[in-house]
Amino acid sequence: MMTREEFKYKKRIVVKVGTSSLSYPNGRMNFHSIEKLAYVLSALRRRGIKIILVTSGAIGVGAGRLGLTEKPQDLSKKQALAAVGQAELMKIYQKFFEEYNQIVAQVLLTKDVVNIPSRNLHAKRTLNKLIDMEIIPIINENDTIATYEIEFGDNDSLSAIVASLVGADLLVMLSDIDGLYSADPRTENTGEIIHSVKEITPELEQLATGSGSSFSTGGMITKISAAKICLQEGIDCIITSGSDPAVIFDILEGKEIGTHFEARKEIIINHG
Amino acid sequence: MPGRKYTIIIRIEISTLINRDGKINRRKMDRLAMVLTNLHNSGKNVLIVSSGAIVLGSDKLKLQQLPENPVDMQAVAAVGQAELIRYYQQFFDDYNQIVAQVLLTSDIISYPQRVENTRNTFKTLLSMNIIPIINENDAVSTADIEIDDNYPLALIVATIARADFIVIKMELNGKYMIVPKNYNKGIIVDGEIELQEKIDALCTVTIPDNQKEKPEFPGSIGEIVF
Repeated sequence: MMTREEFKYKKRIVVKVGTSSLSYPNGRMNFHSIEKLAYVLSALRRRGIKIILVTSGAIGVGAGRLGLTEKPQDLSKKQALAAVGQAELMKIYQKFFEEYNQIVAQVLLTKDVVNIPSRNLHAKRTLNKLIDMEIIPIINENDTIATYEIEFGDNDSLSAIVASLVGADLLVMLSDIDGLYSADPRTENTGEIIHSVKEITPELEQLATGSGSSFSTGGMITKISAAKICLQEGIDCIITSGSDPAVIFDILEGKEIGTHFEARKEIIINHG
Repeated sequence: MPGRKYTIIIRIEISTLINRDGKINRRKMDRLAMVLTNLHNSGKNVLIVSSGAIVLGSDKLKLQQLPENPVDMQAVAAVGQAELIRYYQQFFDDYNQIVAQVLLTSDIISYPQRVENTRNTFKTLLSMNIIPIINENDAVSTADIEIDDNYPLALIVATIARADFIVIKMELNGKYMIVPKNYNKGIIVDGEIELQEKIDALCTVTIPDNQKEKPEFPGSIGEIVF
């Protein structure tokens, strides 16, 4: 396919990982997966590709550090766990990226980067400077201080906003499901993966929400809204499974993996 | 009736904890972690305001000199903040003390909802026996980024957390200066043992649980008399 061929030339990539890429279903850290992620991203960086990582997982890691077996429900406790867990999470990333001689940086954002122009400029400048210095920025929401009016709500939207902030040409969202299906693969045998999406129609959005809660555990709804932001910004977007981060190598070879939300290539300037 | 706990903000300049070569002074760091854990263990709320992201980031990136323009400083700070918090984690671990990272922008003080929210986060952390380590969120902050002078941030944190004392680790001689609220004089103590004893001596009066006044502290370090 022509459009997938173009993935060989991607130069600025935002990769988003969720809790499913960082921990086992029992809540414990999956160091194997994190190590592989560090290896893949460091290798790509060395090829000259600019890499930005958007990560979730601070609250889960914080709960693990404090030996809690259940995630708390109330906001201030979640924020407290995020403050503990973010520090732990960065330590773990630092350790694994150091194995591959790759320096990382921590950037915590709130929605102020969208709403306040000066903050948008500062975040953009810092991120561009970091990737120019061959550092991999690791971005998360600044959960500790985020109130409802400044929270992104989910890291899928955050990753799309970061992609537009740095002028990325590709966003890869690693999830616990290998793409968008025409029906819930967990309940219906007829479901098939949709490899290519050119336009996000109401029917498509229905697909992500329609099949009940089990289907949306992968957060497909928020992923579709993130993909929407990417399409508006002309950024290609892939949703696929993060069970093996080496899948990013295959994506960049143009293999038909996951669901590709195709950004329009010709920019039509309408002078009215 | 057990009253409200006394709350201490400790303001650390990284220059008081590193050697000339830019590396962490392990002994000083260890002593600091010890006394702060112990202040916490003795029933006080302890919050740390620490600079050091730029200095440690420069060391990590093997820069020959500290960055000078704001963009470079912000990028180096994003690398160094991760290093900074890692050092604190390592040294506090020896005393079985869990720490947390809280990054703020100084303009927080003009958003009452965020102040309230951050105050709740601090409260929750302290109630879970966790020491928060606070720094400016340099990567996005529009405040003038400066190396080392985090006293203004310490003042903001003191207001949010309704602190009773700001403790300053002094650059000149490594001593500690205790600044009680509503009192513009600093009390200088020699080392960790004296710090614990002096604070204990100052914390004998029970504060009513519902006391919520805004504490007054000198607006800059230069205004502190000692």
